[in-house]
This record gives sequence, C-alpha cells and structure tokens, in this order.
Amino acid sequence: MTVSTRPSPLHLLLAFASGGLLTLMVDFNGLVALHGNALYSSWVAHGTGTVAAILFLALMRQRPFPAKGGAAPGTPLWAYLGGVSGAVTVMLTSTTVNSPLALSGTLALGLGGQVVFSLAADRWGLLGLPRRMPKPRDFAAVGLIFAGSMIIIFGRS
Amino acid sequence: MTIAVLLALFAGVLVALSRQINARLALSTTALAASFWNHIVGFVVLTILGLVLGGLWPEGALSAPWYAYLGGTLGVIFVASGSWLIARIGAINTAMLVIGGQMISGVLLDLLGGADDNFVYSALGVALIIAGMALTQRRGE
Repeated sequence: MTVSTRPSPLHLLLAFASGGLLTLMVDFNGLVALHGNALYSSWVAHGTGTVAAILFLALMRQRPFPAKGGAAPGTPLWAYLGGVSGAVTVMLTSTTVNSPLALSGTLALGLGGQVVFSLAADRWGLLGLPRRMPKPRDFAAVGLIFAGSMIIIFGRS
Repeated sequence: MTIAVLLALFAGVLVALSRQINARLALSTTALAASFWNHIVGFVVLTILGLVLGGLWPEGALSAPWYAYLGGTLGVIFVASGSWLIARIGAINTAMLVIGGQMISGVLLDLLGGADDNFVYSALGVALIIAGMALTQRRGE
C-alpha cells in the first residue's frame, strides 16, 4: 500500500492549529509541573484527558470500541499501547532538561528523533500505516522547517 | 552528556512512535477513540510509576492557576488530530507541519508576553518554516 498524498490547505491548517494547541498544552502542563513536579503534571494531564475523552466520545456518540465489547476486529493489541510511549517520553525529557542539554538541547534533539523516525515510518510503512516514499521536495521542506526551528530554539537560549 | 543526547533523541523517536501507534488504532476505530486509549493507558502507566517512584501527589498539587489543568483536555484534541492526519498525509508531513505550528505559535506567545529580544532570529526562523510549509503545498514534482 503506497500513497503519495500531498497535504491539502485544510490538512495544513489543521496540523498548524494542532501545533499551536501543543504550545499551549506544553505551557499549561509546565505550569502544573512548576507547582508540583514533572511526573505529577503528566499524570494529571493523562487523568483529566481520559475524563475529557470520555465526555467527547459521549457527545459525539462514539464508542471506544466500535463493536460490542472486545477490541475492534483486526486491531493488534499493541495498537492500544501508544500511551506507554507517551508516558515514557515525560520521564526522558524531564531528565534531559535538567542535564547540560537544557530545554533547547532537549527540544532540538527531540525534533531530530521525530524527523528520523517519521521518515523511516513513511518509507517502510511502519506499524501498519500506508507507505509513502519521500521525494526530494519532501526533504527540502523538512530541511527548511528543521533549520527554521533550530534558529528559533537556539536564538532564544 | 552522551547519554543525555541519546535520551533526548530517543524521546523524539517515542513521540513519533506514539503518534504512529495511535494512528494505527484510529484506522480500525476512530481518531477520538485512539486518543482515549492513549490517555487511559498513559494514566495507568504513570500511576504505577508514581506509586513506585513516589511524588504522585506533591505539595502544591492543586496550587497552579485553574486553566493550567486544562492541558490534558488540549492533549486529547492534539492526539486525535495527529492520529487523523498521519493516515492522510503521512508521518513526516504531520510531524513537520505540527512542529511548524508549534514553533510559530511559540514565537507569537513570546511576543505577546513582551519578550522580543531575539526578534531577528525568531523572524528568520519563522520565514524558513513558512517557506518549508509552502513547499509541501506545491503541486507537481
């Protein structure tokens, strides 16, 4: 399964807004961590998020499982474990921001890790998602956005 | 230091891995359901970690301003939108567009907060990011 979809302006807008949401989220969770600690902040965010998700699902008349009970047909068990990875991320980043890397180094290397994994994920269609061969222009876009991000991150520190 | 570098890189890999896994779940359920599972599973893991390591209910636990506790709710929308996008435009496009939005909104938030001492760097960075985002929109090869 190979797709070569380009993002439409709607996709661009949604992804951009989602990045803005992330900025607010990091800001809010950071504030909670300041009053408590990093683990507590992530724990509270996941707890309140679970409640919010249940409310959203109820409002939109959706079920967490599409069929009655049990996992969705054809869904591997590991597909339910995305949250483990997210929980471990908090432990790692709260360690590295307090190392000589500080916040800017943590952010920069984190972006690097995301880029490498995402390119590989598209190239080989990792974890059951469509394969998508990166083209030269994709690399150019990645290069520009990555370079711009580095300038902002290190210009601030 | 080397270990810190590897940990920070690995944290980035985990961010992308988590998005990929949630997107796989969204394929056979919905993006919102995937976000629900992401949060409840993360909550269970963090509860266990907190009980083992301690610090789950620190002093000042409820002393942050009320709106700070909305971070988790924003996270639900964030995870759902990522799961929805990745199946449609791929992992690298999703990652780069979200990063672009995060960087530019961060710069705007700084400006609103009155911190404009890095204006030249920020403006240059934003210009490069916008150029990169525009490049993802061009049709043809």
